[in-house]
Amino acid sequence: MVLRAMERRAKQRVMPVRAAAETEIALRDVTVRYKLAGGGSKTVLHRLNVEIRAGEFVAVLGETGCGKSTLLRMVLGQEFPNEGAVVVDGKPVRRIDARCGYVPQKYALFPDRSVMQNVLYGPENAFCGWMGRARPRFWRFRRELRAEATQMLLRMGLKSGDFSKYPGQLSGGMQQRVAIAQALMMRPPVLLMDEAFSALDPSTRASLQQQLKDAWQETKPTVLFVTHNTSEALLLATRVLVLRPHAEGETESNVLVDMQVPHTNEPLSVRRRTREFEQLHEHVKQLAFRESDGGTELVPTGLVQEMPRRGDAAE
Amino acid sequence: MSAMSGWLELADIQGRPKRMWTQSLSWVLFALGVAVYLQFSIARHRENPDDRVMPTGTQLMAGVHSAVMDQPEEDDPLADGASRWERVTHGMLWKDTVASGERFGISLLLLIPAILLGLHMAVFPLAESVFLRFFLFFDKIVALSLLPILFIVFGIDQWSKIMLMVIGVGPTLVLDTYNLAKAVPREQVVKAFTLKSSNLDVAYRVVLKQILPQVINSVRLNLKPLALFLFAGEMIASTDGLAYRIALMRRHMGMDIILPYLLWVALLLFVLDGTLRLVNRRLNPWY
Ligand SMILES: Nc1ncnc2c1ncn2[C@@H]1O[C@H](COP(=O)(O)OP(=O)(O)O)[C@@H](O)[C@H]1O
Ligand SMILES: [Mg+2]
Repeated sequence: MVLRAMERRAKQRVMPVRAAAETEIALRDVTVRYKLAGGGSKTVLHRLNVEIRAGEFVAVLGETGCGKSTLLRMVLGQEFPNEGAVVVDGKPVRRIDARCGYVPQKYALFPDRSVMQNVLYGPENAFCGWMGRARPRFWRFRRELRAEATQMLLRMGLKSGDFSKYPGQLSGGMQQRVAIAQALMMRPPVLLMDEAFSALDPSTRASLQQQLKDAWQETKPTVLFVTHNTSEALLLATRVLVLRPHAEGETESNVLVDMQVPHTNEPLSVRRRTREFEQLHEHVKQLAFRESDGGTELVPTGLVQEMPRRGDAAE
Repeated sequence: MSAMSGWLELADIQGRPKRMWTQSLSWVLFALGVAVYLQFSIARHRENPDDRVMPTGTQLMAGVHSAVMDQPEEDDPLADGASRWERVTHGMLWKDTVASGERFGISLLLLIPAILLGLHMAVFPLAESVFLRFFLFFDKIVALSLLPILFIVFGIDQWSKIMLMVIGVGPTLVLDTYNLAKAVPREQVVKAFTLKSSNLDVAYRVVLKQILPQVINSVRLNLKPLALFLFAGEMIASTDGLAYRIALMRRHMGMDIILPYLLWVALLLFVLDGTLRLVNRRLNPWY
């Protein structure tokens, strides 16, 4: 553990991700407890110390219930730690604001707005308040904005025929594409994603992973990407944090692994098949799941056998 | 043959009856109702030609005519040369409909602040702590029991009845809107703030806009209680209004007027409900 940490620090010094390697997100001694219904309390995060530099793509891994979403809520400002401090962009987090873009797993889009309206919503608010919208200046701005939004949506893999549809008329994958576009349109310094791809089928997921990676490489926002899929984390991230559930009475932090992921330029579809990636995957699994015997790993696809149908078997 | 298979389909969950068939079936109970009524009415009149409980078809038509054309007994009679139109607009049905409609409309307007209050309670924690407990309690007060107080405070005309309707239905609507707004996923509010929304943006452009179709449906469901409170108020103390007339006619068994009035009220509510449904669909095509 100590060795690994030193190794990490050495790496950090050698290869800064962005020219200015300032700290973007800092969690200092963050402890979060929830009151339990029957009295008493449960510690979810314990003495977390994490510094994330601008432009890093950090994947947060861990089994269900270990506090990944809680961590994200702290950074977002939706909740506050019982102890310790959360700092984003040099300022302590006090409320939810536009410093962070947010893509949840579900309910990411406003159901009463079309795809285009969803994507325009944020930038319009940023341009002026509700009262200023009658001015011609706003309408000029809106025209330019529309062009930009169109670009963004097309890049995320939507067709122009979908722009006027409502989220309810789109598949889950399409909705997540729009949600990412919606968040990226604000050009947030920090992008928070909570299991954003977890409900998608494998091929949609793969294509979204590639698009997210491309988008990140262009503008280099700081990304905090929560997932429970190890290979997804290793494919996308430059750094992986593995959390483990906090056991009562423990004194150490519940960050189990904090490691840099070697950077490559291959497309993800190629990358995921390389020997090196497999080894890395194996390595992290060993590190992260040796205690919990891999309970959260997804079953590799391709192992599902054809079953005879009931009606057929009866004949 | 086709009728036969049609009847079989009544018991077939997977059946797909033809449109013509479903359309005509939807009128069967209406026709049956009319037929049964006429049957009984004729039978009663055979026994007692002066029966006033179940007027015959002709008597009903005469009743409708009188309701539309004749002036209420409490008004001064029109001059003899009055035109048809003048007679209708001074007729009892017209006068009563206008009087009741005015009360109904004003109460509906007064329910808009109730909806906004429910919204604010759900969105702003401080408003929630001020109002929620009070409304949970206030909602349990039986509005009709307040009527004597309302008569004293607002007098026995218009406003006491309007306040009865508002007090009767308002808290339900407040709490219903509150629940609907609370059920909006937290993600939506969080997301809106990350997209640089102001507090009012979140309340009105995100939450209210999303629950509006359900709120309108809730208003639709509350039309009936609203009418109920209106009728209660009008029957107890009033000098005009649809329910006032029904109560008045009941005293001398004027079923030939009461029945048309009853159907007229049902029709008005039915049309109002349908209009709101249409408005809802227009306003919220995404729903
Ligand atoms: N508001 C809350 N009140 C009580 N317990 C909570 C609350 N939010 C989360 N928890 C608990 O904290 C733990 C971590 O939750 P979460 O961060 O959502 O886990 P995950 O890693 O699956 O995202 C869970 O055991 C959950 O039951
Ligand atoms: Mg979670």
